[in-house]
Amino acid sequence: MEENEILRRRIEREQKARKQAEEILEAKALELYEANRQLRDLNENLEIQIKKGVAELQQTEKRYQDLIESVQDIIYKISPEGFFTFVNPVVKQRLGFSESEIVGLHFTELVLPEYRENLVMFYRGMLQQKQESTYNEFPVKAKNGTTVWIGQTVRLIEVDNQITEMVAVARDVTDRKNAEDSLRTTQTRLSTLITNLQKGVLVEDENRRIILVNQLFCEIFGIPAEPEALVGMDCSQSAEQAKNLFSNPEQFVQRIDEILKRQQIAVEENITMADGRILQRDYIPIYLEGHYRGHLWEYADITEQHHSQELIRKSEEKYRGIMNNMELGLLEVDNDQKIIRAYDRFCKMVGYSEEELVNQNAAEFFLPKEFNEVIDTQQQKRSKGYASSYELQLIKKDGSRLWAIVSGAPIMDEDGQVVGSLGIHYDITERKQLEQELEHAKQIAEDARQAEKQFLANMSHEIRTPLNAIIGMTHLLFDTRPNKQQYEYLDILKTSADFLLGLISDLLDMAKIEAGRIEVQKQPFDLVGLLRTNQRVFQIKLEGRPIELNLMIDARISGNYIGDDLIMNQILLNLIGNSEKFTEEGAIDITAKIKKQEDEITWIEFKIADTGIGIPKEKLELIFQKFKQVNAQGHKHKGTGLGLAITKQLIELQGGTISVKSEEGEGTTFTFVLPFQKSDTEIVVNTHEIQLAPNNVEGCKILVAEDNMMNQKYISSLLSKWKIDFTIASDGKKAIEQAQKQAFDIILMDIQMPNTDGYEATIAIRNTVNHNQKTPIIALTASAMLDQKSKALSVGMNDFITKPFAPNVLLNTIQSYLKVSKASLRPTEYTFNALLDKERLTNLYGTDKEYAADMFQAFINDVLPDFQQFEQLIELQDWHGLGVHAHKLKPALGMVGLSKLEEQMNYIEKLSNTNQNIDTLKSIWNEFRANLEQILPVLKVELEALTK
Amino acid sequence: MKGIIFTEFFEMVEQKFDYTMVDKLLTNTQLPSGGVYTAVGTYSHTEMVSLVVSLSQETSIPIPDLLKVFGGYLFKIFSKSYSHFIENAPDAFTFLKSIHNYIHVEVRKLYPDAELPHFEIEHPQPNILVMDYHSIRKMSDLAFGLIEACLEHFEENASISQEVVNHDGSLVKFVIVKQ
Repeated sequence: MEENEILRRRIEREQKARKQAEEILEAKALELYEANRQLRDLNENLEIQIKKGVAELQQTEKRYQDLIESVQDIIYKISPEGFFTFVNPVVKQRLGFSESEIVGLHFTELVLPEYRENLVMFYRGMLQQKQESTYNEFPVKAKNGTTVWIGQTVRLIEVDNQITEMVAVARDVTDRKNAEDSLRTTQTRLSTLITNLQKGVLVEDENRRIILVNQLFCEIFGIPAEPEALVGMDCSQSAEQAKNLFSNPEQFVQRIDEILKRQQIAVEENITMADGRILQRDYIPIYLEGHYRGHLWEYADITEQHHSQELIRKSEEKYRGIMNNMELGLLEVDNDQKIIRAYDRFCKMVGYSEEELVNQNAAEFFLPKEFNEVIDTQQQKRSKGYASSYELQLIKKDGSRLWAIVSGAPIMDEDGQVVGSLGIHYDITERKQLEQELEHAKQIAEDARQAEKQFLANMSHEIRTPLNAIIGMTHLLFDTRPNKQQYEYLDILKTSADFLLGLISDLLDMAKIEAGRIEVQKQPFDLVGLLRTNQRVFQIKLEGRPIELNLMIDARISGNYIGDDLIMNQILLNLIGNSEKFTEEGAIDITAKIKKQEDEITWIEFKIADTGIGIPKEKLELIFQKFKQVNAQGHKHKGTGLGLAITKQLIELQGGTISVKSEEGEGTTFTFVLPFQKSDTEIVVNTHEIQLAPNNVEGCKILVAEDNMMNQKYISSLLSKWKIDFTIASDGKKAIEQAQKQAFDIILMDIQMPNTDGYEATIAIRNTVNHNQKTPIIALTASAMLDQKSKALSVGMNDFITKPFAPNVLLNTIQSYLKVSKASLRPTEYTFNALLDKERLTNLYGTDKEYAADMFQAFINDVLPDFQQFEQLIELQDWHGLGVHAHKLKPALGMVGLSKLEEQMNYIEKLSNTNQNIDTLKSIWNEFRANLEQILPVLKVELEALTK
Repeated sequence: MKGIIFTEFFEMVEQKFDYTMVDKLLTNTQLPSGGVYTAVGTYSHTEMVSLVVSLSQETSIPIPDLLKVFGGYLFKIFSKSYSHFIENAPDAFTFLKSIHNYIHVEVRKLYPDAELPHFEIEHPQPNILVMDYHSIRKMSDLAFGLIEACLEHFEENASISQEVVNHDGSLVKFVIVKQ
């Protein structure tokens, strides 16, 4: 039973197990079937997928290929060992190498040598650390040798945990690299520049943080930190913190705030530090594309500069002060006369302010037109770099004029170019006024002097005229056959009158000498006679006094000497008169001896020695000075004090010398030496008798114009004596009337006459048609002034006789003029051949047949042969020689009355200078020669007639 | 646990004792599967543990001995059914070394839901093989029986020492020394 039960349970279990197994297997079979079906589907699907995948892959590959080929970057593959396995075509474009040249190369072969090691290390590290991707930059050498900077990204390619290759995308970054380089260089340069600037520099950004600061900045403000350490610091409180470094802290802070607020350039502001240093500050805002990006501060320590500027300024102020006080007005103008600067003093001078003057044209602004030329001349000098001074007027603001003396100097720039000029003006208005006044005063003085001279001339006339009468009358008395005593009295009377004349003349003489108007006459005179006359004059004077007057003359002195007897006389009168005055007793010895003989000149020494009171030694030097009288007080003799001074001057005037020796109480000796020329001509011996007129003056006719009755009488007595016919005219007007009525041989003309004076009368006679237009006119005047003589000659007078005159002087003068005038007035006694120029020959020779004969003789003998040269000169065409020769011979033709030939010769001379045609001249010469030959016999006949 | 282990277990019990013993075990043991097993099915290993515990109680043989015997029996079954695995190996150590890397890999291909123990093999000397057994089933005694049967199969004379590393039996070190 039990066994059955177990069996039943066993069968039951086995059935259940079988069913279970069948179910499982059924499920498995189904599962298997399903799996199989799915597998089949999958397989089919897979084929499609593969096809599709292949197509996609191909497309992608192509896309990548295109991409790789189209990129501008070099894409390459490289083995882990560093050899190129692939490169895209861009490499050709970038580096110049072809793909085939690159593939197989080791990458280091392209890299610049100095970069190779670092680069190999870099990529070795990448491989070791299996970095998926890296970026690096390095330079390579392109095929053409240029350096190309490469920036590349390298990516590792791993297969099965093994690095199979690397792929790189390399870009040409040369431009960027260069830009970076230059940027870096510029930055370095700039920051080096800023750091080393001789100014403290602080650059802040817009938030006032320090970007850059240099060492000097730290030094200036005593910041105890390295400049680099300050970068990034906030500066917004720094002004407040540093303010006590400055002498005026509040002002400093205020100004900083102001500048920062304005954000505009503020340069060259001077700040004084509390310790006395002077800083110059610049503020420069930095704008980038119109936006404020910070600013730059610059501080320069200009303490020294400031001090020296201060010094310069002070010195400038000092000199300006000096210049202003010196009353010198300075004005600076440019080359166009534009005013650049006007200094205070100048402004004060002209009354304008500097503002009114600057930029004005100086010449137009205040220069009177008449000074334009002055300025132009000065400008030219200035432009050549010369300085000069000149005077001109300026028109002041109030319209009045200012005289200024200007010292102008060019202003040069650094290159030495004249950029303008500086004028230093000194107001000389007052001086100019003074000058004008002075000029005026001088004019008055000149007028006064002229008046005085006139007065002297007048006085001379007034005194001489009566003296002339006395002397004249004395001469006439000599002619009244006086007895011996009367003769002697008359002689003394004449001598004394002359002496008086001399004394009175002293003052006039002195004046004349001083004015240089004394004229030393050179005419023959009897020196011995003159000495003896003087001796005689003084002997008479000394009669009754115990004084001997001795004259000793060197035996060699004889005959006539040429000199001025009047001056000689005056010298002797003065010196002997002087001795006579101061000698009580003893002797006055006059000696004359020849000192030395030089060719023509004889030096004669005169001595006047007396035994008078003598001259004190200390006063010896004074005696020749004007108005110095040495005589003892209360001495009886009084004089002008001019005597010895005049004497000395008169001696020196003739080239002589005078000296004096004296012993007080013993006497005085004057010694003078004068040069004389010996005269050969015999002079009329003055016998004090009026000479009988020689024959040749007889019958001639003289007009005497003289207002003074006594002189009229004196002259008419003389002329009557000489049997000369004369007419008296009592004034100039009457003289003119007479001159118009008839012809005279000579006219004697007094200068000072009523109505019309001698000058006016002469002018009238010379310039109106009358018989006496060419008659010699001789001036008679009492005036000794030389200028009157020259005036007389200039109005047309022929000669000059000073009153009082000796009869012989008048006679000699008349004779010398009659010689010429007579010929023209008297009918000719010889008649020249009518074939010659009769009128001309008559004019030339008058009655002088001998003279004419001489000329004719000379022409025929000496001149005629010279005419032969003409032919030769014309042949040689020596036109100059021809002209000279014609000019030389021309006058000779006129002298023998061949006026027509003279004209022809004149024509030849003219042609030789202008035409110079050989044929023309030849024909004219031939004509001339024919004419000359034709007239030659006439000349010879004429010569015979003349010599008869 | 694969159904074949259960069917082979009952084959061995019937062979060593009789079907009455099989019936006792199936009747007296609490089995969620109801005591019906087929070689192709898969069942919870706790049922095997319950069955071994019941067999030990019925026969008074200790569990480790039972498992060792069952191990020896299983290897003999396997060497028949899966002879190609064994034949490929020239000796016991080669076969033992290939269990984890080769045999278990192949088993998993057939039975993806199979729960297999893990072995770590060391071969410090030519004649020594060390096998570390890891299994949450804690059936190292079963493994001992299999190793013993394997050495018997290759006719190799070797001693097997079994050292429990974890007291719960999840890690056990076997040291096999060839004589």
